Amino acid sequence: MSNIKPIADLSYRNYDGPLKKPGSRWWVIAKNGIRIALKKKALWGLMFVSAWYYLVMLVVLFFVNQVTASNPAGAQAMKAFMERLVWPDQFLHGFSYAQLPMLIIALMLGAGSIANDNRANAMLVYLSKPCDKREYLFGKWIGIALPIFVIMVVPTIIFYGYGALTFREYGFLKDAWLLPKMLAIIPIAAIFHASIVVGISSMFNQARNASATYAGIYFITNFFTLLMGGIWASSRGETPFPVKHLFYASIDGVLIGVCKAIIGTKGSAPFGIQSPGGVSQVPAPNIAAILGIALLISVVFVLIAWRKIRAVEVIG
Amino acid sequence: MAHENSSGVLSYARLVTVARISNLTVRYGNFTALDDLSCEIPEGCTGLLGPNGAGKTTLLKTILGFVNPTSGEGTVMGKDIRTDGMAIRQLIGLMPEQDCHIPGMTAVGFVSYAGELSGMPPADALRRAHEVLEYCGLGEARYRNVETYSTGMKQRIKLAQALVHGPKLLLLDEPTNGLDPRGREEMLDLVRSVSHGRGVNVIVSSHLLPDIERVCDRVIVVIKGKLRTAGTIKDLKKLAGQPADVELREPSLAFSNLLMDKGLTVAPPKGNVYRVQSELPPEELLRVVQRAAIESGAQVRGFETAVRTLEEVFLEALTS
Repeated sequence: MSNIKPIADLSYRNYDGPLKKPGSRWWVIAKNGIRIALKKKALWGLMFVSAWYYLVMLVVLFFVNQVTASNPAGAQAMKAFMERLVWPDQFLHGFSYAQLPMLIIALMLGAGSIANDNRANAMLVYLSKPCDKREYLFGKWIGIALPIFVIMVVPTIIFYGYGALTFREYGFLKDAWLLPKMLAIIPIAAIFHASIVVGISSMFNQARNASATYAGIYFITNFFTLLMGGIWASSRGETPFPVKHLFYASIDGVLIGVCKAIIGTKGSAPFGIQSPGGVSQVPAPNIAAILGIALLISVVFVLIAWRKIRAVEVIG
Repeated sequence: MAHENSSGVLSYARLVTVARISNLTVRYGNFTALDDLSCEIPEGCTGLLGPNGAGKTTLLKTILGFVNPTSGEGTVMGKDIRTDGMAIRQLIGLMPEQDCHIPGMTAVGFVSYAGELSGMPPADALRRAHEVLEYCGLGEARYRNVETYSTGMKQRIKLAQALVHGPKLLLLDEPTNGLDPRGREEMLDLVRSVSHGRGVNVIVSSHLLPDIERVCDRVIVVIKGKLRTAGTIKDLKKLAGQPADVELREPSLAFSNLLMDKGLTVAPPKGNVYRVQSELPPEELLRVVQRAAIESGAQVRGFETAVRTLEEVFLEALTS
């Protein structure tokens, strides 16, 4: 008798198990995008880099608190430091300084999201399944927006929690709506980045081309914002009318404008230091206008992606 | 056997219809890709033949629900192609002609992801991905990145992702594209085995007539957006009047003269083979041929019903 026996039935068998109805494929696509992103070690590093302002402030506040608690003479210095600190502005700084790392994160998550699919003809796989282009685009978009949201919201909540527990007597809870406001701003930033990167990615079939394009738009417009900011600061606010508006004409500018407008601050120097020479900050833009601009830009890039994603030639 | 029903649609007796297309017209601007096309695709394995630009692509796109017809209607597995595109795609597996994969994934990841996209729960999709990869001969390479696969392996993984959710209808576009002879044989064996006795209906679009002949039971020939002919390969290859090919040991003028004297039509021989045409049933014709051979002293080496090649069928459809 032969000892060679088949160890498994390798012939084709039909699948008779459950099949979910169409309508939930976007989550499969989003999950896959997130899973691939989480495998990138650089992403984990960038998560910490994006929260650097909050981390530094946490360390500074912790030591200031510890030192003054053990040294009554330092209480006066602590009081002066706390008086200089504008709490909402710390969130503005945390949010603003996260923007550059957030650009890199958005590129890591999204530059190749559709471009790589274009290169590998993956659209044939997606669109021949019970998954339409709405679900495909929404899945890709959520797969970028959700991680960005989480990466931004976690340090914000940690910082808020520490401040609320430790610095209530120094006016931390003066604005009871500060946390809800931040929780409204962060999704806007996530949506804004995700929409732009998805739109740009859909235009290319190489992730590096999409990355270069978004980075180019970001840095060129950001240079313009810095220029306007410089003009404003050097003229101490005595500038022609358009300058304070043009300051917000960039990727960073729009998001900082949204943050300033919703929090209701024009900002101050970081880390509670005195503004050198009393440099004035560019005032917050009109909330409706800046939100409208952010929404318009997001919609335009999503529409670009919508037009580019097609049920391509299936059979040659 | 195919026959026309009362509405002029070609249909097959005793076979369940997988797809039914009625008076389908698809236009891209001024260009008519499908022109009042009607056909029924029965269960089993069907070959879709036609020259480039004939409308095969558009027909398959329409079946997949990607293209909205200008007029006409159709159903696939009882679902309306105009309104039930998603439901149709849940029942269909597509193996495209072009290389396609999800970048950065292993084979098992890719196929299970394709299963999830088709609606399978993640655990089922993963288990099924392993099964299907084994079946397609990629068991050993299932943890390799698909981007490192050879052309033959990429063809197999395309078949695996199309099969993973257990489709009732499989659309295969040029399944042997880029394969070496051995790979081609293996792929055709896979297609034949999945399409016969496994409950999976298959439509194969290919320019390679031998491939179609090898795996399909019937063909649909589409030319210039119109259905030119359809039916089982066996029926299409039959010649009118059911002539017989008689092979002799060596050509014999006496033999052919004797047959003609008996009222049969005998074509000039090709080598030692005479094509004999008559109204007689095959058994009676065989007896007549045997008698003529005995009388003329010719030695009969073979007798078979004459058929055309699929290529001849295709060329006739093309030129008619």
